[in-house]
Amino acid sequence: MSKEKIQICEDLADIMPPEYHKLVESATFGNQDRGWKDIGSSTELIEQHSLCAGCPESIAFRYILASLPAPEDTVFVGSTGCTSLVFPHVAVHNIHSLFGNQNAIASGLKRTLKSRFPDVEKDVVVLAGDGATVDIGLDMTMQSWFRQEKFTTICFDNELYANTGGQESGLMQKGFVAKMAPKGKNFEKVRLPEIAREAGCAYVALLTVSKPNRVEQVIKNAVLIAREVGPTFVQLYTPCILEIGKQSMEGLDEMKDSESIGGRFVQKEYISDEAQKLLDSIKIETKERKKAAKEAAKKPVNA
Amino acid sequence: MSHYEVKAGPEAFLPPAAATMGNILPDPGEAHIGGKIVPEEEAYEHAARKILGAKVPTIFPGPLVLWKWNDHVAAKAKAIRELANEVPMRLIPMADYRPKYPKIDAAVEINPNHPNLTIWHNKIDVCIFIGVHCHQANLALKMIRASTNCYTMAMCAMAGHEDACLSFRDADLEKIQRLTAAVKKLKAEGVEVQANSFTQFQMDRSGFVVEPVN
Amino acid sequence: MNKQVDLKGKRVIASKHVKLGQKNRKGQTYTDVNDIFYKAEQTPNFLTGSEVIKEAIRRASVGTSVAYPITPQSEAAALIGELYAEDYLDEYFRGESEFAVMGQCAGASFGGHRVFTTTAGPGTLRAMENFPMWAGSRLPIQVCVTCRGINSPLSIQPDTLEMHYLLETGMLVWHAETAQDLYDYILKGFIVAEQPDVHVPIAVCCDGFFVTHTKDTVDLSPEELCLTPYNPYESPVTCMDMEIAPYRMMRDPFVMKSNYINYSTHASWQQEIKAAVERSRKHTIALLDGLIDEHNSDREILIVTSGTAVSQSREAIRLLEEEGIKVGLVKIKTVRPFPYEEIKRATKHAKHIFVPEFNVAGWMAREIKSTIPDNERVYCGPHVAGGMTMPSEVIVEEIKTHLGIKTAQNSR
Ligand SMILES: Cc1ncc(C[n+]2csc(CCOP(=O)(O)OP(=O)(O)O)c2C)c(N)n1
Ligand code: SF4
Ligand SMILES: [Mg+2]
Repeated sequence: MSKEKIQICEDLADIMPPEYHKLVESATFGNQDRGWKDIGSSTELIEQHSLCAGCPESIAFRYILASLPAPEDTVFVGSTGCTSLVFPHVAVHNIHSLFGNQNAIASGLKRTLKSRFPDVEKDVVVLAGDGATVDIGLDMTMQSWFRQEKFTTICFDNELYANTGGQESGLMQKGFVAKMAPKGKNFEKVRLPEIAREAGCAYVALLTVSKPNRVEQVIKNAVLIAREVGPTFVQLYTPCILEIGKQSMEGLDEMKDSESIGGRFVQKEYISDEAQKLLDSIKIETKERKKAAKEAAKKPVNA
Repeated sequence: MSHYEVKAGPEAFLPPAAATMGNILPDPGEAHIGGKIVPEEEAYEHAARKILGAKVPTIFPGPLVLWKWNDHVAAKAKAIRELANEVPMRLIPMADYRPKYPKIDAAVEINPNHPNLTIWHNKIDVCIFIGVHCHQANLALKMIRASTNCYTMAMCAMAGHEDACLSFRDADLEKIQRLTAAVKKLKAEGVEVQANSFTQFQMDRSGFVVEPVN
Repeated sequence: MNKQVDLKGKRVIASKHVKLGQKNRKGQTYTDVNDIFYKAEQTPNFLTGSEVIKEAIRRASVGTSVAYPITPQSEAAALIGELYAEDYLDEYFRGESEFAVMGQCAGASFGGHRVFTTTAGPGTLRAMENFPMWAGSRLPIQVCVTCRGINSPLSIQPDTLEMHYLLETGMLVWHAETAQDLYDYILKGFIVAEQPDVHVPIAVCCDGFFVTHTKDTVDLSPEELCLTPYNPYESPVTCMDMEIAPYRMMRDPFVMKSNYINYSTHASWQQEIKAAVERSRKHTIALLDGLIDEHNSDREILIVTSGTAVSQSREAIRLLEEEGIKVGLVKIKTVRPFPYEEIKRATKHAKHIFVPEFNVAGWMAREIKSTIPDNERVYCGPHVAGGMTMPSEVIVEEIKTHLGIKTAQNSR
């Protein structure tokens, strides 16, 4: 969908509630240089949500939506879990089908969009919880990587099953006492980034959502590499403050603690050679484009 | 086989889908009134009479006509506006289908997940759906029939709706205009508009430009 | 309930697709389904059921097919791969399990493709969670189910128990008796399932091996004609491609916030899926010439069944006729929607109704019993299962025994 088409019919525009006017007038659809800094100055693609107050998933959603290279041509695939409370309010098409089959859905979807729109880059992005990605859906997650399906998988890692009330998950830390792990979890947190790398992801990133600029960069990298090179994976720590007994203001500290030296979420990236080449060329292109734009702006207008 | 008549409600805690009661959708050139298949021509007049006889006749335009997603819809939107002005009817949009949290403003919006709120709040006695995806229209039509006394109509661009009290099918620009023409004709023949006077609200990005006055 | 739709002589509303009359990249002409079946000349071919599936798909303008091996559908699924290699399909690949395959099919359908897949027995059950999801999401995917046993111990042989599990998924469920049926149902099934007022998935079932692996003469429509493509914007729901409003759109959202109003949305949604299945009657009757076939259904003794049990019954009826016992036949073509009114009417004069089935459960007999008045007239059987054949003589024997007619066996 070109940005021009995300418009309200003139003759009925004056009955549309404000949020839709704002979406059309000041969301950053079609803006190549969109990013987290637009938050506050433009209309966000997320309207509202019913997550717990202070849940880091909400800020993660906002950063991701602000960073997508082309939301007007992006389709999300979600899964069952806390994220599915947010998706109905997101201004891009998105699918909830079952718990755990998100990468299977995305495989069929991406191939279809590629064949129906050979000349338009339609980005498919999976966004699901750790239970969906690692436990019930691991087979489909990995198989999509093996098959080199060209879409991005984002995992909101809150180290437990939040939506069902805080049960043990594969990404939970060893020893953590949770529902269904009454004596503490007795195996290590699954090393998903390494699994992703070995399974064929061209780009892998692990980080928290404490720093928006970092989130923006990895999301952009992941989506652009998925277009050209192959599957990409981003694992974001979005602690479930409710289930780990934190106050609504404590999410940020929790993330900062976990990413400091020796923590579980010290940022790491794996980039294949081909993906790195692409990133380098994008960097140069962007620089030149911005330079050209600056110069064009400087030129006096012809009288 | 007894004929299941699709009437204004309130019908039941959970009324059946009319299709499961044996009601069939019209073929091209036809419409249905109350579940009975009639020539389309007859439905224009019936719909126009319903609209003119209503206290709070309302159009619910859906996303397919609110958003300019292709070149044809702008013309449809214009025709809908003309229909609304001709009567005059209220316009209340269904901009999308999401369940809104914590609640919608029933004065100015309708949502397929609780359409009855909008009907109740605005005391709507006759409504017409235009440009709503069939699936969501059917969900809403059944719920309206369940718990309100609103007479429902559908200008469906596809095969029509058994769950409305009256439904057109294959509705294009011309059919919307023909409904307007039918209203005009009845008015010219002396049928009087029964609608309560009202002020159509208007909104822009900062809120009301004109507040609704009932 | 379920008034019978009388449409004899009518056809489904002709396709208005913009590509009608144009040629595809294989040189086939996009043609209205009515013209393919009722205008074009049909030529006999001697083929296995698997080859028939391939020939149907060759003419079906399918976008995506996803495959996974399981007997007895593996051959058909691989043959569709050959079609893909010849460029008849846009996408084809092997999924990792039936659960995943049905998800991949859903993704393709959400994105706007016509989608076809095949499965059988344990595959159907492995995939099960997807089927009501397909229906609730209004995805008109077609799955060809080549029925086989589902019980432990493992069996690869024909058995129709798995169909019972499909009955309340919200899918259309059709049951082919022969390879000819299979060809017709696959092509016509796409058209019925994709009608905007229907737009739910369809399972075209056949009995494994008996239909898939035996050769039969099948009339095929010309290879140069293919169905008009699926139009994802002629749909009761939003296609997930960011090309159609509304943009703030989730397929399909949780509407289960804890209050009555949203529960009623969910209930209304379920009713709508049932309604969609009901709406298919009108189109199906036109294309399949009724939901049932009847032969001498005014007789006092009737056999009512579906699938290859019908073929075996035809022979049984011939054998009985030789002995002067006159038996009529009702063949059920669509199990969902179930032909309630048709069966009620067709069995009006019957005193004895026999329902032979290829499963131990006797689910078809139960369906019929719950449909007709005086249901003690229904005799549940004979049954075979686990891959046994159902010799016509067994049907004859059981009918005679039940009617109190002495036979060599029952008087021993
Ligand atoms: C097949 C199936 N099994 C179980 C569930 C129940 N269920 C719903 S959400 C959920 C947990 C989700 O955990 P996760 O993916 O980590 O997401 P979170 O809620 O933590 O964000 C479970 C187990 C389900 N919906 N479907
Ligand atoms: S339960 Fe946990 S993950 Fe879910 S919204 Fe609340 S804080 Fe966030
Ligand atoms: Mg989780």
